[in-house]
Amino acid sequence: MRVEKQHSFADGHFKVAVDAAPNAMIMTNDQGQIVLANQQAELLFGYSKAELIGQSIEMLVPERYRQQHPHERRSFWEKPSPRKMGAGRDLFGLRKDKTEVPVEIGLTPVELKDGRYVISAIVDITERQKTEKKLQAKTEELARSNAELEQFAYVTSHDLQAPLRHITAYVQLLEKQLDGKLDAKSQQMMGFVVSGAKRMQQLINGLLSFSRVSRDRSHFSQADLNQIVQDALANLEIVLKESQVSVTVDPLPFVNVDAQLIVNLFQNLIENAAKFKKENEPGRIHIFSEIKGSEVIITVKDNGIGIQEEYKEKVFVIFQRLHTPEEYPGTGLGLAICKKILHFHGCQIWIESEYGVGSSFCFNLPLA
Amino acid sequence: MYRRKLSIMIAEDDLADINLIQSLLEKSPYLEKIEIVRNGQELMDNLNLKKYDSSLHPDLILLDLNMPKKNGRQVLSEMKIDPQFKKIPVIVFTSSGDEKDILDCYTLHANSYIRKPIDLNDMNDTLQYIEDYWFKTVSLPSDRMN
Repeated sequence: MRVEKQHSFADGHFKVAVDAAPNAMIMTNDQGQIVLANQQAELLFGYSKAELIGQSIEMLVPERYRQQHPHERRSFWEKPSPRKMGAGRDLFGLRKDKTEVPVEIGLTPVELKDGRYVISAIVDITERQKTEKKLQAKTEELARSNAELEQFAYVTSHDLQAPLRHITAYVQLLEKQLDGKLDAKSQQMMGFVVSGAKRMQQLINGLLSFSRVSRDRSHFSQADLNQIVQDALANLEIVLKESQVSVTVDPLPFVNVDAQLIVNLFQNLIENAAKFKKENEPGRIHIFSEIKGSEVIITVKDNGIGIQEEYKEKVFVIFQRLHTPEEYPGTGLGLAICKKILHFHGCQIWIESEYGVGSSFCFNLPLA
Repeated sequence: MYRRKLSIMIAEDDLADINLIQSLLEKSPYLEKIEIVRNGQELMDNLNLKKYDSSLHPDLILLDLNMPKKNGRQVLSEMKIDPQFKKIPVIVFTSSGDEKDILDCYTLHANSYIRKPIDLNDMNDTLQYIEDYWFKTVSLPSDRMN
């Protein structure tokens, strides 16, 4: 039991201290009679000190709780200790104008020369409740928009595929049926229909992976970046062999990430570097890192064609491409996905590049 | 291996897809009969009519996922707890590549899950693989010992 030993409550310093408190404070004796109230209490309840002092504390309790309140007061004295009132329950105070105010009340037992008292510190939580409600509404809104995104991902994955198949397959069927009856120009036109539909499918699949990046944060864990890079390289084995690009990797640290997404990130960056290699020079990619405080800066450096200064931001924009599909195939999604993956981790990606010499893609990640 | 001809049921609501699949499958020498149902409800009604005569059951079901009235998932969850129907192999054949669909279908005891390709030649290849595997290679519950 912790009971504060104090001077008499009538002591001048004590009164001044209570009055200066930023919260409403009311002191009652063990009969529940108000013996002291501060200015904030006057403001909160709308009564003057003179109207409060000498009255029963129940005058500030809404009618529906009034009957049980004296019983609760007595049980407080069975085990007097500083604590919050009505743990977990919603509490309300009753103002002079009969309106109710949501409150939080801290109780402190005080033993003075002339008896036992309780100091109640009362906080008006109207604003906090408003904020909490707003926050809850926002959270619900976010959940709803996430659900819509899921739905969008599903629609792209499923519903948009069927019409594409109809376009593609039936033009191909037509072509077969008309075999020999089509002139070269018509045949080329049909080819454009099919290749257009196929390209659309690539874009849809890209959009799908883009929308899937921020599904949930439950997959964050400590991960070995060396393993992550090895996984990415294993997935790219054929691409790297075909494009004759060699990759060297310095030792890398452990990080706290969604490992699957970071594999995807490295895969996109390495694939990108391999794609934009110079034609007359063997491609080289070097991956290294530098620890800075609680994070690591990772660089994927290549000796490819490089990126002009004015495009260094643009390349991360979704569907942004600097070349025609004939020059370099692609959807314009790879680097946008990289940026999204890093933003999902609260991190950034940027380019250091010399046009014609090569590019370095740099990003930070939190160390494990 | 000797194999009697098989009957296959295709549950598909999309007419363009039905035409495509049917025209490509019909060429198979291993096929006795193709039955088409246009949604999950029709499929279950059709099966229920011949519920206790398993000789009339299809040897294989090609099941689309998104169909009106009763979708592929509902069909799986009904079929695969029914002692009469649960042994009929079901191949989910759908446009969806959604990982949740794939997981859900296997959880509901689909026997395989195949994505419908976009390209005619890929579609042809895929149906050829289905023929090679499901018509020619695997032993089916409807096979008689001999």
